[in-house]
Amino acid sequence: MDLNPIKDAFDHVSKKQKLSSSKAQEMIDQIMQEIEKAVEIIQSGQSGSEFEHKSVLGELNKKLQEISPISQLEGTQKELNIALSKYPKQLEKSFNPDISKAYRNIDFDIHTVNQIIGSHFYRLGLFSIGDCFINEAKEPESTVAMRSMFSEMYLIVEAMKDRNLIPALKWAAANSDKLKENGSDLELKLHRLQFVEILQHGSRGEALTYARTHFAPFAFNHLGEIQKLMACLLWTGKLDRSPYSELLSAANWNTVADELTRQFCNLLGQSFESPLSVTIAAGFQGLPPLLKFMNVMAGKKQEWQSMKQLPVPVELDKEFQFHSIFVCPVSKEQSTDDNPPMLMPCGHVLCKQSINKMSKNSSKTFKCPYCPDNIDATKCTQLYF
Amino acid sequence: MEMDSIPNGNSAVSTPAVTTPTNSTHTTPSSKLTQLTESLKLEHQFLRVPFEHYKKTIRANHRTVEKEVSSVISGVNDAADSDMSKDDAFQHLTSLVSRLQGLKRKLEEGSRTENLQAQRCRARLDHLESVDAENLSEWSNTRLKRILVDYMLRMSYYDTGMKLAESSNILDLVDIDVFQEARKVIDALQNREVAPALAWCAENKSRLKKSKSKFEFQLRLQEFIELVRVENNIRAIAYARKYLAPWGATHMKELQRVMATLAFKSHTECATYKVLFEPKQWDYLVDQFKQEFCRLYGMTLEPLLNIYLQAGLCALKTPYCYEDDCTKEDPLSQESFRKLALPLPYSKQHHSKLVCYITKELMDTENPPQVLPNGYVYSTKALEEMAKKNNGTITCPRTGFVCNYSEVVKAYIS
Repeated sequence: MDLNPIKDAFDHVSKKQKLSSSKAQEMIDQIMQEIEKAVEIIQSGQSGSEFEHKSVLGELNKKLQEISPISQLEGTQKELNIALSKYPKQLEKSFNPDISKAYRNIDFDIHTVNQIIGSHFYRLGLFSIGDCFINEAKEPESTVAMRSMFSEMYLIVEAMKDRNLIPALKWAAANSDKLKENGSDLELKLHRLQFVEILQHGSRGEALTYARTHFAPFAFNHLGEIQKLMACLLWTGKLDRSPYSELLSAANWNTVADELTRQFCNLLGQSFESPLSVTIAAGFQGLPPLLKFMNVMAGKKQEWQSMKQLPVPVELDKEFQFHSIFVCPVSKEQSTDDNPPMLMPCGHVLCKQSINKMSKNSSKTFKCPYCPDNIDATKCTQLYF
Repeated sequence: MEMDSIPNGNSAVSTPAVTTPTNSTHTTPSSKLTQLTESLKLEHQFLRVPFEHYKKTIRANHRTVEKEVSSVISGVNDAADSDMSKDDAFQHLTSLVSRLQGLKRKLEEGSRTENLQAQRCRARLDHLESVDAENLSEWSNTRLKRILVDYMLRMSYYDTGMKLAESSNILDLVDIDVFQEARKVIDALQNREVAPALAWCAENKSRLKKSKSKFEFQLRLQEFIELVRVENNIRAIAYARKYLAPWGATHMKELQRVMATLAFKSHTECATYKVLFEPKQWDYLVDQFKQEFCRLYGMTLEPLLNIYLQAGLCALKTPYCYEDDCTKEDPLSQESFRKLALPLPYSKQHHSKLVCYITKELMDTENPPQVLPNGYVYSTKALEEMAKKNNGTITCPRTGFVCNYSEVVKAYIS
C-alpha cells in the first residue's frame, strides 16, 4: 500500500501548523514591542508634558489597530483549516472508514471475552499483565488455573535460555509415556543437547556415562541418531572442528524449546498458538471481503443480522484450515452427513445428491462431468475425510 | 484448489493420471501482498484518532491566542479612551506586557504539545509502512497488542492498558492520552456528577450539534430527575425552564415524559416513570458518553477487539468445529470461543479444502488425497510414510482397517 500521498498530505498539515504558530508568536512579539516602546516613553517622560501619556496611548492604539493582528492571524489560520479538513477526507478515501459495517449487533459476553484475554496473557508468559487484568476486570479465579499451568512451562523455557536443562528433563521424564504416544522424541532431543554440552565442557568419561544411562532406552527407535552422537566422543573438546559441528548451533536450543512448548501445550489440551492470536489474525483476513460485500449489499443490512451462513466465501490462508471442507463441484454445496462426498469409479468426487440427480436415482448411467467415463451410480462409494 | 484435469480417454483408475500444473489460489506472493494491503486498509482509526487529537490541540491553542490578543488590544483601546493618570497608564501597560508574556509561554508550551502530537501521527504512518513479508508475524503481534490496549481503554481497565503499552513499547501506537479525557467524565458520571460531562459537551458543542447528539439533553434530564427525587420541585421546575425547554422543539415526547415525574414522584410504581429513577440510568449515561466520545474521535463504537473477533470467528466457523474430534489448534475447539461464535454465521467456501487427518496438512496437487478401500481419505505423504515404515501395510487410524499400499487409489477433488 502506498502511503506516500498520505504522508505528504500530513506534512502539508504540519507545515501549515508550524507556520500558523510562528505567525502567532511573531504577532505577539510585535504587539509586545509596541507596548514596551510606549511604556518606555511614558516612563522616561521626556517632554515633561502632563498629558504626554495620553498621546502615547492614542498613538499606540492607532498603531495596534493598523497592525490588526487578529485579521492577520486569520489568513494563516484559514490555510491551516483547509489542510486540517482535507486530511481526514484523504484518510477516508484511502482506508476503510467504517470497519464496523459488517458487525452483527450481538453483545459478546464480557466475562467470556475477559477470560479469553486473561488466558492469552498467561499463555504468552505475560504473567504480571495477566494478574493486573484479572484484578482490574474483577474476573473470578478460574483463569488462574491457566496461570499455574503456563507458569511451569515458562520456568522450564526460561531455564533453557540459561542453558539449564534440568527442569526440562525432569518434565520430559515425568511425561515420557505421553510424549511417546504423541510420537515425539523430545526426551531424546533434550538428552542430546545435554550430551553435547558435556562433550564441550566436560570429560569424555562423563559424556560416556551420560550416554550409557540416558540413550539406552531410545536405542530401539533411534539407532542411527545415537550412533552419530557416540561418534562425537572422538572429538571431545573440539567438536567445532568435527563433521558434527552443526550439533553446536544455538538454533538447536530454540527448536527444542519450541518443540517443548508445543508438546507442553498439547499435553495441557491447549493449542500451540494462542487461540486469540489465531482468531484475530483470521479476522484481519476475513473482514475485507465482508466489508466489500456490505458495500454492495447496502440495503440488505437486515438480512445480514440473521444469516446462518456467510453470503460470500472468505478465503483464509492455509494455517487457518483446520477441517476438511468438501464442496461439490456440481451443486456448489458443502457436503453434509446426509449428502456425503462420493468417489466415482474414475476417481472424481461429487456429492451424493448430485449423483442421484444425474443418474435419475441410479436408474441410468451418466457421464462424469470431468472425464468421458460413464458412471454407474451403484459403483460409487462414500468418502470420509 | 483448482481442478485436476485428466487427459481425455484416460479412465483407468490405476494409471497414474498426468495432472496439469495448477495454480493454487493462496500463498502466491502477490496475493499475499494484496491481502496485506486489504488488512492495512482496516486501520483507519489508527491514523484518524491521533489526528483528531492534534486538530483539537491546534484549535484550542488558536482560540487562546485569539482571545488574549483581542483582549490586550481592546485593553489598549479602553485606556486610550479613558482619563487615566500617567501612573495608571504605566501600570496598565506593564500589566498588558506581562499578560502577553504569559500568553507567549503558554503558546510555546502549546506548540510543544502540537509537535509531539504531530510526531505521533507520523509514527503511526511509519508503523503502517514498516510492515513487510519478513516482519509480518512480529508486526501482527504488535497489532494484537494495540487492539488489546484499545479494549482495555474502552472498558476502563486503564492500569492493564498502560502496563501492556509500556511493556511492549507501543505508547505512540495507542491512544492512552485521548482516553484520559474520557476517564474524567466517566469517573464523575459513575459518582453521579454531571458537571464534567456538561463541560465536555460545551467544549465540543459545535461538533455534537453537527452530529445531532442529544447527549447534553440526556444529562439535563438526569439532573432534573435527581431534583425530583429529593422533592425539590420548585428548583426542578426552574431547572426545566432553563435547561430542558430549549430542547422542546426536537424532543417534546421525552420532555413531557420526564415532566410528568413531578406528579408521579420517585416512589411511583408506574413502569414508564419508575424506570427513570433507576440507578441504571447512570450506567446508560456512561455508555452514551462513550459512544459520543468515540464518534467524535472517529473511532468505531465497538471495541476493535470485538469487531475482529467476530469477523475471525465467522471466517473460522464450520459445522466440524463443534464436533468432539475437533483439533485443538482450532480456536473453536475451546468452549469460550464456541460460546462467542454461537450466534454467528458459518463460513462459506466455494472450493474444497481437504486437510489430512494424520498430518493435518493441506491435501493439494503436491500432496494429493488417496482413498483406502474402506473410503477413508489420507494424504499421499502420510500414507507413503506409513507404507515405508510397515513394509507396505496401511492401517486406517480411524477404523483399524488394514490394507496394502497398492490397494490405495487417488481421488480427484476439484
